[in-house]
Amino acid sequence: MVRRYLRTCYSSFTAHVFDIPPRFMVFLFLIVLLLLPMAELSPYYLSIIIQANVLAIFAVSWDLLVGRTGQISLGHAIFFGIGSYATALLFKYYGLPVWITIPIALLIGSLAAFLLGFPCLRVKGPYLALVTMAFPLIIGTILKWSPLIPIFGGEFGIRGLPAFFSFLPDPTPQVNYQRIAEYYLTLFLLFVSSVIIYKIAKSKTGIVLVSILDDELASKACGINVTKYKLMAFMISGLFGTLAGCVQTHLLHVANPPNFGLTLSFAPVIITFLGGIGTIYGPIVGAFIYLILDKYLLTDLLPKLCEYFNVTLPDEFEYAKLLIFTLIVIILVIKWPRGVAKFATDKLEDLEEARDLDERGPRIWKRYKRKEKN
Amino acid sequence: MLIEQIIIFGAISSGVYALLALGFTLIYGVSGVTNLAHGSFYMLGAYMFFVLSSFFDDLFGSGMVSTSILALILAVIFVGIVGILTYRIAIHPIVGDQVAVMVITVCLALVFQQSVLLIFGPTFPPVRWPEGSFLVISTAILGVTVQYSRILAFVVSLGLFSSLLVFITKTKIGKAMRAVSQDREVAMLMGINTERLYMLTMALSAMLAALASILITTSTSMSAGAWMWLYPLALSFSIVILGGLGSIKGSLVGGFIVGYAEQTVAIVVPEGGAIVGVVPLVIMVIVLLSRPKGLFGKRVELEE
Repeated sequence: MVRRYLRTCYSSFTAHVFDIPPRFMVFLFLIVLLLLPMAELSPYYLSIIIQANVLAIFAVSWDLLVGRTGQISLGHAIFFGIGSYATALLFKYYGLPVWITIPIALLIGSLAAFLLGFPCLRVKGPYLALVTMAFPLIIGTILKWSPLIPIFGGEFGIRGLPAFFSFLPDPTPQVNYQRIAEYYLTLFLLFVSSVIIYKIAKSKTGIVLVSILDDELASKACGINVTKYKLMAFMISGLFGTLAGCVQTHLLHVANPPNFGLTLSFAPVIITFLGGIGTIYGPIVGAFIYLILDKYLLTDLLPKLCEYFNVTLPDEFEYAKLLIFTLIVIILVIKWPRGVAKFATDKLEDLEEARDLDERGPRIWKRYKRKEKN
Repeated sequence: MLIEQIIIFGAISSGVYALLALGFTLIYGVSGVTNLAHGSFYMLGAYMFFVLSSFFDDLFGSGMVSTSILALILAVIFVGIVGILTYRIAIHPIVGDQVAVMVITVCLALVFQQSVLLIFGPTFPPVRWPEGSFLVISTAILGVTVQYSRILAFVVSLGLFSSLLVFITKTKIGKAMRAVSQDREVAMLMGINTERLYMLTMALSAMLAALASILITTSTSMSAGAWMWLYPLALSFSIVILGGLGSIKGSLVGGFIVGYAEQTVAIVVPEGGAIVGVVPLVIMVIVLLSRPKGLFGKRVELEE
């Protein structure tokens, strides 16, 4: 009797109190992100979050192509690399400022996406995945070829690129205005690009893209020009991938062959899987999980804890870090194949449903539970 | 002289590449798993051979071919067991979801890389046949000096490839593999234990990768390294896609095309050694542009 009463209390509590509309949650998240620099974080933490913003742009663009359109791409680093090298080369040979090189690089990136889209349209499924994986590997190797070193700088890449906010005062130990300005810039870009991609995904075009994911043949039979829409997805995705590359280059002041590397090809894949594939908001959550796991918990918190408990970490811990990280990723992907964010929103929707049932009376609620059990 | 060099070295590397690609194509054909951890089995093979042969050297005295061959067999079996465990623990829960399988297998590749780094450190242990055995002696074929170990690699790989072809077409397990690759549900209805078959195929695929690794590293006197998995992975998937995913004939033909192209580029192009790595990938892209399913890929019904 008491147990049942408590359970009713609990279910109505969860249904009524945890009922936060998603729009409000997004707003809350944004407010927290906007106010973050006020917390006087050390520049290291701020740079982690800047990285998370950039990777989130990159992963959101991947999610539009793969999660929404079903064109499995394991070589998204090609857009990242094209973005970084395009801005770097434009700066090196023409001396253009950042605010001009980035739009030109975006144009180059979407053109490259268009050109790459053509061969990629003919292949499907795992063939497409492995072909796209090949492109950045090819370009990354050719960049290191010795006859091309005078142009592309070989292994070390192109160094000495200007920062975004070099006109701001130089960093002091107390406050780093440049870093804070960079933070707001990346946050703004993340907001704009994710809203644009979200709007595209929710629009008529987005529905057509999902229909291509579900059944390409059927959408062809409905009179949809599949080729056009696939190319469009490639170009939009490539555009935002290039944007991430450009921004990253000017944050780190260098464009080098690892920008075409396998790590960057798989970073958006892992991030999207952590957050939830095909949701657009999932990759943003995933990027923060990814960087907090990698750069904060394992690099910062764990050594500090060990210091506190007087445990010395062995030198091999550097290798164990990535090992632990990948093991956590494997466990998360096996446990929640649809992503952490998707898991959370499913829970919220369940609560909403429970609330609706609760209003109609406890008897229906009970029956609903029983039906679910069966 | 140049042409003879290309012919002989091309043939030798082609045979081993075909063996490497066969493992990749088998596991894809039977269970639909795009195993991006294939290169890790290659790496593990070389490391296990190094560990076991140095262990046997301590035990029985160095310089014996027989203990090296015993080490080779044990290393290959060990990698096969690792393959079964990987499939059972990590791949089995998400099999069927293409992208998730790729994510998990790449993570597995990183797990193997980091474990090897953790155990051996960033060193490059040499993987060699014992000094002074007949395998390290050279002979001349068509005026080109070739080590006996390379000839051994060529003979073993072609022999194994043909015997596997017989295994797949004639024996009961091989027929079950082909049945599952054609239609999984009907094969299950006919009483084939698909799960066991998947594990068996995974073991076979891992063992082929390990064997190819030992043959390549010993005959070209390369060293093992924790990062050595990427190139064989790129090699095997480009060969397999070139020939058609799931096609055994395709992996043989693809292996020969890639092997010869690689040798030609390495010998003819200036500074070619640095860009040898892109040759298989470029060939793959070019072939796919003309034939989207590879040379011998299955044609899907109801599509253009």
